[in-house]
Amino acid sequence: MITFTLNGSDVSLDTDPQTPLLWALRDNLQLTGTKFGCGMGLCGACTVHLDGTAVRSCSLPLEAVAGKAVTTIEGLGGKHPLQQAWVAHNVPQCGYCQSGQIMSAAALLAANPAPDEEAVRQAMAGNLCRCGTYHKVQRAILSVAAVAHWEPSAEADS
Amino acid sequence: MKQTRRQFIRNVSIAGGALTLGFQLTGCSDKPLQVGSEADFRPNAFLRIDTDGVVTLQIPKAEMGQGIVTGMVTLVAEELEVDPATVRYEMAPVHSAFADPEMRLQITGGSASIRVYYDILRQVGASARETLIAAAMSQSGLPQDALQVSDGKVRSNDGRVLLSYAELVPTARTLPAAAAVALKPAAEFRLIGRYEQRVDALAKSDGTAQFGIDVAPEGCLTAVLLRCPWFDGAVETFDAAAALDMPGVAAVFATEHGVAVVAEGYWPARQAAAKVDVRFTPPAEGLRDSAAIASAMAAALDGDDFLSVRDDSGPDAEGGELVHARYEVPFLAHAPMEPLNATCRLTPGGCEVWVGTQAPDVAQDAASRVLGVPREAVVIHNQFLGGGFGRRAAADNVAEVVAIARELERPVKLVWSREDDVRHDWYRPAMAGQIQARVGAEGEVSHWRHRIVGPSINQQVIPVFAGTMLPQWVPAGARRLAGKAAARKDFASVEGAKELPYAFAGVSVQYQNLPLPVPLGYWRSVGHSHTAFVVESFVDELAHTAGICPLAFRRRYLAPDAPERRVLDAVAEAANWGRAAPGRFQGLAVHASFHSVVAEVVEVSLADGKPKLEHVYCAVDCGQVINPDIVRDQMIGGIVFALSAALYGEITLKDGAVEQGNYHDYPILRQNEVPPMTVVLLDSDAPPTGVGEPGTPPAAPALANALFAATGVRQRRLPLQLS
Repeated sequence: MITFTLNGSDVSLDTDPQTPLLWALRDNLQLTGTKFGCGMGLCGACTVHLDGTAVRSCSLPLEAVAGKAVTTIEGLGGKHPLQQAWVAHNVPQCGYCQSGQIMSAAALLAANPAPDEEAVRQAMAGNLCRCGTYHKVQRAILSVAAVAHWEPSAEADS
Repeated sequence: MKQTRRQFIRNVSIAGGALTLGFQLTGCSDKPLQVGSEADFRPNAFLRIDTDGVVTLQIPKAEMGQGIVTGMVTLVAEELEVDPATVRYEMAPVHSAFADPEMRLQITGGSASIRVYYDILRQVGASARETLIAAAMSQSGLPQDALQVSDGKVRSNDGRVLLSYAELVPTARTLPAAAAVALKPAAEFRLIGRYEQRVDALAKSDGTAQFGIDVAPEGCLTAVLLRCPWFDGAVETFDAAAALDMPGVAAVFATEHGVAVVAEGYWPARQAAAKVDVRFTPPAEGLRDSAAIASAMAAALDGDDFLSVRDDSGPDAEGGELVHARYEVPFLAHAPMEPLNATCRLTPGGCEVWVGTQAPDVAQDAASRVLGVPREAVVIHNQFLGGGFGRRAAADNVAEVVAIARELERPVKLVWSREDDVRHDWYRPAMAGQIQARVGAEGEVSHWRHRIVGPSINQQVIPVFAGTMLPQWVPAGARRLAGKAAARKDFASVEGAKELPYAFAGVSVQYQNLPLPVPLGYWRSVGHSHTAFVVESFVDELAHTAGICPLAFRRRYLAPDAPERRVLDAVAEAANWGRAAPGRFQGLAVHASFHSVVAEVVEVSLADGKPKLEHVYCAVDCGQVINPDIVRDQMIGGIVFALSAALYGEITLKDGAVEQGNYHDYPILRQNEVPPMTVVLLDSDAPPTGVGEPGTPPAAPALANALFAATGVRQRRLPLQLS
């Protein structure tokens, strides 16, 4: 039995501890927003957060998440500033890679709230998009980064 | 290639009290192949409005990222006077009413969807609007000129009467649908050319968009398939004892497609598959290695066994400098981000299939043949496609899952691995070409002789599509004959070369089919994906031979009213052509495809002798733009797709098997490799033309020409080398 926190709730799974987190999410927990693309950590479609860090769930055995916190695209809630920016900029084309793109972007902004263009390009290099939405991904992230930069959180809190 | 169409609208009431507008197309009887028959029931119900006023549109095309849902909703909403964001949409079921009026299949391809449905869907919206106005006249007693429509409501000019569509539905559904309604002139467009949102953006940003791979009917098992590495092998023997001992495994058995391993989820299925010991029948003799295929193509070019596809060559010219070159392009995989998959549940006498497909009727036909049931016994539920690019026009995944489901009592989802996808694609064929031309002292060009060798896509694909278009009793042999006939001068091999737009003195284009035991399919822009590279690279060679600027050279040989001129001038202006910054080098290409014309300039720099992509400029004339943001995205996406192939794309064969398997050895461009891009949309009042594919063809030659400008080395083989 492996227990971890998933999008804020505790879950326990009685399954092969070697099962990649991706398949536990999709097949055991019916959270299909996280996508299978390559199975080798090459494309980023399966990106989720493990204790706030972006990880490739296709290559992460379930036992590695025991006692930790996992956040998936469903856990962002749909109103995350990045998700709003994705809609405002019409980022998705086919949409298949976008959960992974958004999760990588969210982890980037958590670590670096105001990345410049080059930092975005490098941080997002692990997320493939066959439709070629890269410029829109970049622009959407920078739009959120700009807001974060413009309105320091201390100010927002007061 | 204008077709005669007779169009009429019928008002068809359906259960639930909704107003349903059908749209019927007949005619086109000059086409040799027809889907369905006169006896078919054709309600053609694209649109319905329910008693709550909710407008729902049936989408007859696949949404694979190109934005067709948004485009179609916009066309209807423009005339129906509603907000596109309020329109619901459903993927249309298989029905002859939803067959493409030109292709006669319910297929998404050829960048045709908006071009073909531009009038039809506006007419659907306009007819519905007029019928709702008629209902308002009936309910209010006011004449038509006392009423106006906006935002889903009919109002009286004096503001005293306000009727929502919901309130009008009960009356409207009893009225004959308004026919032959005049469409808005472009000057009155409120959405077309202006609306820049995507109606599916939210679902594709919050994880709720449902792709084929996300479907899981109650009790669904997961299957993986062990396929023969070479394309013509079958399962000879297999030992599943170890696999059957694995936890969660439900069954292991052979089908005509390989060994199916079925389990409670993908991971246990994949783990068990690794324990199956399988032997396949040995491959037949033939061309089974990339090197041997290249040699065979070269030998074919040395021979004389060609069919003419265009000949206005006149007598052989003499004089000037004879320039000649050979070009080669490799096999390419589509590699959409969503690996192929399909889900099947048996029903009494048939089955249901959930799949993201570009051709639900082809999928239906494939499933029905596996089960030996009538097509109507198969229900296809189309889903969002995680990329298509031509790959999902094939239904091999559907035939496979039905053959697996046939042996099971529970529904089953077949999921391909990425390796399955790269090694069992329907590939863009490898092709070879040879061109020669004479360049005179003043740069005058004569004696253009272009020969193309490669396997015909249509020889393989036409028999499959014919299987869907023709009655099912038509034997496979007859369908293969249709494929052979199409292969002789295969348009999918010569398109883009045959239509050479330059007025050179003497042009001949010839083709030789070289059948290969490799599955072939349509890859974004199809024949244009290689002919544009060859033609536009060679035109660049001629310009340099003549010592003339490649832009001026092209303009010189284009008719004054050629659409190529407009896009060339526009891209030249955007790119500041001829005045690149120091250390920057530019290459140019222009190509017409799918009724649109696109010119591109690729700009590179040299760092330590190694070229680097700096910027791509693009100008497109695609007629009336519906959604400017989506057109720009399609151009950029088409360019990224082309540059991935131009820089990295190569599928090679060894002993009949594909050597690549995943994104490490079949790479595509990443975020940090893509240069900035600028797209110019040309104003046009012509009807809309294709945008999904036309951005792709010019990118490879523009890059090759930029590399020549930078390095002085002419590269005639794809993928290009940057070192």
